[in-house]
Amino acid sequence: MNEQEKTRHIGRREFFTRTAKAVISIGAAGVISRLFYDKKGPQRDSKAEKLVTLPDFSILPEAGKTISVVKGADRVRSVNKAIELLGGIKRFVKNGETVVIKPNVAFASPAMLGATSNPELVAEVIRLCYKEAGAKEVFVIDNPINDPASCFMLSGIEKAATSAGAKIIMPAPPLFANITVKDATLIKHWPIFFGPLEKADKLIGIAPVKHHQRSGASMAMKNWYGLLGGRRNTFHQNINGIITELAMMVKPTLVILDGTMVMMTNGPTGGSLSDLKRANTMIASCDMVAADSCGCELLGKKVSDLPYLVKAQEYGIGTTNWQSLNPATATLE
Amino acid sequence: MNQNHTQFSSGSDRRPQNRPETIVSISIIAVLLVIAVILFVRQKDTDIRRFGITAPSLQLTPKPIELENSPVIQQPAGFDKLSQTEIYTAENLYEKIDGKAPLYTEAGFLKLYCQRLISKTDPNLWMEVFLYDMGNVRNAFSVYSTQHRADAKILPIFTQTYGYGTSNGLYFVHGRYYAELIGSAESDQLVMAMLETAANIQKNPVSAEDLKVNELDLFQSENLVPDSMKLYLKNAFGFEGLSDIFTAQYQIGDQIITVFFSKRLDAAEAEAMAAGYRKFLMENGATAKQTTSDFLKDKIFEFYGVTEIVFTTGRFVVGVHEAENQDSAEKAAMILAVKLSDSDKAKQ
Repeated sequence: MNEQEKTRHIGRREFFTRTAKAVISIGAAGVISRLFYDKKGPQRDSKAEKLVTLPDFSILPEAGKTISVVKGADRVRSVNKAIELLGGIKRFVKNGETVVIKPNVAFASPAMLGATSNPELVAEVIRLCYKEAGAKEVFVIDNPINDPASCFMLSGIEKAATSAGAKIIMPAPPLFANITVKDATLIKHWPIFFGPLEKADKLIGIAPVKHHQRSGASMAMKNWYGLLGGRRNTFHQNINGIITELAMMVKPTLVILDGTMVMMTNGPTGGSLSDLKRANTMIASCDMVAADSCGCELLGKKVSDLPYLVKAQEYGIGTTNWQSLNPATATLE
Repeated sequence: MNQNHTQFSSGSDRRPQNRPETIVSISIIAVLLVIAVILFVRQKDTDIRRFGITAPSLQLTPKPIELENSPVIQQPAGFDKLSQTEIYTAENLYEKIDGKAPLYTEAGFLKLYCQRLISKTDPNLWMEVFLYDMGNVRNAFSVYSTQHRADAKILPIFTQTYGYGTSNGLYFVHGRYYAELIGSAESDQLVMAMLETAANIQKNPVSAEDLKVNELDLFQSENLVPDSMKLYLKNAFGFEGLSDIFTAQYQIGDQIITVFFSKRLDAAEAEAMAAGYRKFLMENGATAKQTTSDFLKDKIFEFYGVTEIVFTTGRFVVGVHEAENQDSAEKAAMILAVKLSDSDKAKQ
C-alpha cells in the first residue's frame, strides 16, 4: 500500500470520529448563527416607509356641469367664465376651506414661453378662492426638482401668487411621504409632495397645454408629475403608465387647462415664441381625462395618439368622449 | 471477484457501502437541500423596500456642478451673472429639462453647461445659455435640426455653421456643441447681448473633424428648401430599424417633398435596412402602389393617403417620406439616388 492509498482509507472508528467532529462543527456554526440572528431584520426608515393616502378632493358631479370650454384671448375673463359655467367657484370651494393649487412650475423660464402655468391665471384663481368663495388659506405647490426657488421666481408665479394672498410652499424633505396607489405598478412606496395636501380641503390643478417630447402632450393629468419626489426620471421609460397612475392617485376638485397659448413643438421646455400658437381656449373640468381629451385637439392630436388617455378611461378615471358630457361653452368678445 | 469492494481497509479505489455512513451522508445532503430551498424562497422575495431601501425613489440625484467662471460661456457687456455656471451630466439632465432629456441623452449627450445672465440696467431682461456638449458635430447637428423652429431667421453670425435666430432666441451648432440662448423677452438689447455671447462661444476651438457634417453635402443643392436638412440618429419615422437618417425637403413643382438617405457600411446592410422599413410599412397598413418605373416597382407604397418610397443604391438607403404627390415623390427620389450613386462612384 503506497502513501496515497493510505490517506484514502479510514477505519470505522476514525469514520465515526470524523463524523462526530463534522456534526459538532455544523452545530457550533448553527449556534453562532442563531446568536447573530436578528429576528426583526433591518428596520425600515420610519419616515420613508410611512405610507399615506391622498384625500379625495373631488366633488359631487352635476349633469352638464362637468366640463366647460371658453374661447377668449384674455385668460382672466376666460377662467372666470369657465368656472361660472360649471356653477361658480362656490361650488368647488366653501367658506373657510383650505385650498391647494398645483400649477406647472417645472422650469425656470419666463412666463411668455408657455412652459409653465400663466402667473395671471394662477393669481386669478387664487383671488376667486379668497374673495368669491371665502377660502381660509390658499397654498401654491410644485416640485420642480431643479432649483424650485428660481422656477417660482423666474416663471413669475411666486410674485403673482403671493400678491394674490397665497402662500408658496417649497418642496422640502419633511413634506414628502411615501404612497402606494391601489392597482398601480409604478407608484409603489414612492415619495410624493404630501405635506400641503394632508390637511387641504380642495385641490385645483392649473396646467398649460404643451407638446411633450416623450408623452406627446403635457396637460392636466401630466401636471401631477410635479407631486412626485425621488428619481422620477426613471418613469420616463413608461411615461404613459406613470401619467395614468398619477390620474389614479389624484382626485382633484377641479382642473383648469389653459390653451390660450399652446406649445405646439419642442415641449415640454419650448424655448422660442415660435413654438407657441394662439388657440384662445380655456378648459375647466371636474374630469381631467375629459379636459385632456378636449385639450389634445388644440395640439392637433387625437385621443388615440395619447395612450395614457385611453388607459385612464379604461381604469374608469374619466371619459375621453368629452363631448358626451354636454360641455358648457362660451365665446368671449 | 474483487474483495476490495467489501472491506474497509482493503486498498480498493471504491468505498464499501455502510448503512450508518449512508444515513449520515443523506441526512447532511437533505439538510443542505432544505437550506438551499429556504434561501431560494427568501431571495425570491426581492422587495428591498422591506428594508427601507426604496431605490430609486429615495436615491439622491447628483447635484449639478457649479462653477464660478465658465470655461465656455463668457458674459456679454452690460450683463451680470444671474446664476453660476451649472454643469449637468446624463445622470441629472432631466432635472434641468425634464421630459426633453431623452432627446439629448439618446443622441450622445455628454454635458450641459448652463448659465443665466441678466441686464445691468433692466432686471426684466435676462437670458439663459444652454450649451450642450454632444460629443461630436453629427450628434450636435441632430439635436439642432430636429428642434428647428418654423420661423427661423438665418443670421450673418451663422453663415459658417448651422444656426438661426427667432424673436427671443439663438440656436446653433459649434463643433461638438449645440447652443440655445433663450431670452426672457423680445428685446433688441437682449438680441445684441445674445449675439455677443454666441460670438464668444464661437471662439472656443473646434477640432477638424467637427467642422461640418460631411453627409449633408450629398444632398443636391438645386431646389433644396433652405435649412430643411435634419439628421435622425435613431427611430426615424417611428421605425426602430431606421438609424442615421438624413432628411431634406425639396420644392418639386408646387410640392414640398421630404427625401431621405442613410449611408450604411455596405450594400447588404443597406438592403436589410430598406427591407426592414418596407416590412414595417406593410405591417402597419401600407399597400404597394402602381408605378410606371420598373426600378421603383415594389418599392413605393400608399400609406394612409401619402406616398412612401424606399430602395437602395449601393450602400445607401434612399427614399421619400409622406409625399402627397406620387409623381413628385418619384422624381425627387430618383434625383437623390443619382446624386448618391455618383458620389459613391467618385470615391471608388
